Amino acid sequence: MTLTDAGTTRRPAFRPALLLLVGLFVTFYAFALALAPSVRTHVSGFQPELRYLLPLLGWAAGITALQFGAKKLLPRHDETLIPLVGALSGWGLLSIWRLSPALGAKQLLWFLGGVLLMIGGMSIKNLIAVLKQYKYVWLALGLLLVGLTFFIGVNPSGSGPRLWLNLFGVYFQPSEPLKLLLLVYLAAFFADQIRPNISILASILPTLMMVALVGVLLVSQRDLGTASLFAVMFVFMLALTTKRRRFLWLFPLIIAAAGTAGYYLFDIVRARVDIWLNPWLQPSGASYQLVQAQIAIAVGGLIGTGPGLGSPQFIPVAVSDFTFSAIAEETGLLGTSALILLILLLVMRGVVISRHTKSTFGRYLAFGIAAFFALQSFLIIGGNMGLVPLTGITLPFISYGGSNLLTSMLCVLLLLRLSADPGKRRSAESSQKTYQFLSAVLVLLFVLLFVKNALIAVWNRETLIARPENLRWAVYDVYSPRGRIITTAEEPLAVTTGVPGEYQREVLYPPLSSVVGYTSGLYGQSGLERGVYTYLRGYGKPFSEVWKHQLLYNQPPAGSDVKVNLNLSLQKAADALMEGHKGAVVLLNAKTGEIYALASHPYFNANTLSDDFEALMRREDAPMMNRATQAVYPIGTLINFPALAAYWTDAQVRYQFPELSPRLDYACYLAMKSTASRLNPLQYGCESASADLVAGASPEELAEMMRALGLFEAPAVAVESAEAAPDPALDGDFDAWARKAQQTSVTPLQMALMAAVLSNDGSQPTPKLVNSYQAGNGAWVAFGGNTSAVDVFSPELALQLRNQLLADAQPIWYLNGHAPLENGETLTWYIGGTTPQWVGAPLAIAVAIEGNDPELTQQIGSQLLNLLTP
Amino acid sequence: MNAGLLLILRILFLAALYAFLGLSLWVIWKSISGRTSPTAQEPIPPLGLSSTIMESSSAQIFVTPKVTIGRSPDCDFVLQHEMVSARHGVFSYHHQQWWYEDLNSTNGSYLEDLRIEEPIVVKDGDVLFCGEVDVNISIKPIS
Repeated sequence: MTLTDAGTTRRPAFRPALLLLVGLFVTFYAFALALAPSVRTHVSGFQPELRYLLPLLGWAAGITALQFGAKKLLPRHDETLIPLVGALSGWGLLSIWRLSPALGAKQLLWFLGGVLLMIGGMSIKNLIAVLKQYKYVWLALGLLLVGLTFFIGVNPSGSGPRLWLNLFGVYFQPSEPLKLLLLVYLAAFFADQIRPNISILASILPTLMMVALVGVLLVSQRDLGTASLFAVMFVFMLALTTKRRRFLWLFPLIIAAAGTAGYYLFDIVRARVDIWLNPWLQPSGASYQLVQAQIAIAVGGLIGTGPGLGSPQFIPVAVSDFTFSAIAEETGLLGTSALILLILLLVMRGVVISRHTKSTFGRYLAFGIAAFFALQSFLIIGGNMGLVPLTGITLPFISYGGSNLLTSMLCVLLLLRLSADPGKRRSAESSQKTYQFLSAVLVLLFVLLFVKNALIAVWNRETLIARPENLRWAVYDVYSPRGRIITTAEEPLAVTTGVPGEYQREVLYPPLSSVVGYTSGLYGQSGLERGVYTYLRGYGKPFSEVWKHQLLYNQPPAGSDVKVNLNLSLQKAADALMEGHKGAVVLLNAKTGEIYALASHPYFNANTLSDDFEALMRREDAPMMNRATQAVYPIGTLINFPALAAYWTDAQVRYQFPELSPRLDYACYLAMKSTASRLNPLQYGCESASADLVAGASPEELAEMMRALGLFEAPAVAVESAEAAPDPALDGDFDAWARKAQQTSVTPLQMALMAAVLSNDGSQPTPKLVNSYQAGNGAWVAFGGNTSAVDVFSPELALQLRNQLLADAQPIWYLNGHAPLENGETLTWYIGGTTPQWVGAPLAIAVAIEGNDPELTQQIGSQLLNLLTP
Repeated sequence: MNAGLLLILRILFLAALYAFLGLSLWVIWKSISGRTSPTAQEPIPPLGLSSTIMESSSAQIFVTPKVTIGRSPDCDFVLQHEMVSARHGVFSYHHQQWWYEDLNSTNGSYLEDLRIEEPIVVKDGDVLFCGEVDVNISIKPIS
């Protein structure tokens, strides 16, 4: 009998290592959260946020008390339950505290209350027996409390279903404990059924009625999530106790029936199901929450942004329904997999305890509790991931909600009791097959969660992050400065001001707002802020630096400065000339394509956008549109340019001036009146002359010339551009097109580029608004892309055309034009440029004014060109 | 500095979390597989089995965690009777209990007139009915 001697050391009832690891985990997590704000704002000193100390200490006290209480009162309790509860509740408390310290404090009080309740429950000697004996009393009590919400129910948020009772300022949701009470009732009821297979229907009828009663109560209170959980729980208990697995086939049936009924009876069910089926249909409307939740999981990726470094504020009410997504963003797939595994372990623990419990009631109860945890977690985590429709169910121990936390803790109390005291009555009826099958079903639910989690966080990650609904760039801007936008002469146009955490963007020359653009979490990004976002936001820096910043700070590095080719003095001159008018001016270097001025009037001020946005959107003169690149004006009589060029490509008539009708219209009369010394219907854009020219050229050749001039494709610049007019070749009917050729829509930028062909001896440059960005080493790197000019026609044709359009006594040429606008107004065009006699760089300009004012366009055009006279 | 520290904390909290998960899994696995109580650590209350077949009675006391019964001479407790299967059933000690499980015997095992289909707990004074043989069970508490 040496064996008994060797076995005198009894295994301890709890392993300190388990609790120690949980303590370490929660402590490290709390410290990470405390450190995160100083990491975000790049504070150099050690200034941890002390507010996370309170939940940490409160939690540690609660768990220690629980462990000691259990050790004393239930010496043979299960050793993993309390550590598991500790890990989940600690994680939950800290997450709620991180999202909202006020709610976190409340949750901590609930948690400590739950600890007291658990210790109290441990000291009640025959708790399980009492529960079983008075099953109808408990259920009636639960129903009574839920019934009370009909009369004195409130909703803490002020609107929505009134499911709460106000107990002296503490809100309590009686449907939460009702879940547990119903479970107790079902377990007790089925345990008393000695031979359930005599008549299934007769034996389950009382429970069916009870569950139906509860269901009606909850549905009429619009607590549909809980009602659906009850239905699923009931079927589960039925399958377990009657050992008839086929009851599980009722699941899909019940879900389909309840779903269909709910779909037609309740708007909220319909909305939830529609959102679930098509989350991307209304990403900024009804499904905003779900879309943001999925983006948050995707942003978390594999390792997460780090505790406290993510942006869970983008998910509305993350603290109750979407805690999982908020945790996913900050801890990634690694963290959430561990979270799901923690819950799965708790569930498995419940199943094992159920297996070892000898009383039928205890066995049913333990298994019911395990299934309860599993189904709740599946419904809400699956809801967060878009795996199942959203229900208002909370995540056990994690989500904010006192009633839920208390109920979950009471469930664990029962498991602890059952594990410590397996009961006396022997029973041989536990059916291993049913157990294995039902446990497998529970595990399968978690496998689904793992797979979906990985799909979102890894497989679909890039797609989800790139969604326009992902506004995290706006958060990056607050903590990491964007690069400046400056001119080649180093004059700043847009800069970042403020300190980390409060960075703001300022446009230093507001009339350029539509070009420079704005960047705001509320209104999005526009102009250059959007066009060269990659560089301004720092992604142009070396990969290793970007990667390091993302890993350490969850921010891109400080952005690179970007140079634009705009010339501030020319820009100011253009704006001064345009003041008070509607229209646009584009001035560019005809050889290189560098854009020197890009004026659009009326303009807005990006610095006061948040105050003016509503008013700006209402204004009919569209001040937020960049007319230089986005306005689609009809080409009108400027078609003289391509039409004459197309006419002259025919070798037989080359350079013979066509006979044009000398009839004047009012617009060309006005244009001629101001400057012309002779009758020139071509240069002043008379409509009759245009009609003659278009009729003289073959439609195919006109279309080809216009295509060569780039009128059928939008020029690539770093700011928003209007879509180009469709190429008539697509349609094929050139004759029909030619009759409406003057209505071809073009932008002022396209007209300036067309003008550049004449100034540049027949070749067209690529427009270049942005010049270069500053690389990590301080060197300026030119923006690549196509820089070569494209030959449109011969230098000789350019010379001949220019000669028709020369100005008096100046080395410049110009062409007037006009077109009717949709609102009945007349648009006045002016394009011009320099001739080879010009000593500086060749220039091209386009001016468009909404109004019949050729004198003004001529004045603006010639003055701007002359400003550049060396 | 703060950023580096935060990264270390992130690694540490994940490490602690996964270490906890690993340890919990191990503990749970051990309890599921039923090998939680190695004999060296826990005393086993001696299991006494006695039976009378054709007027010849036999009795044995076991302190091993597993005791097989049946007609085969390989069994720990041999029941020489034609109604008893070669390997009829097995007693095992775990969770501070002695359990009996029928090994799909032809004529079954009964306790208190109930056929045993799942492992059940046996206690001192129980009489197990195997085929046509009564097996008296005595379990002495650990001294």
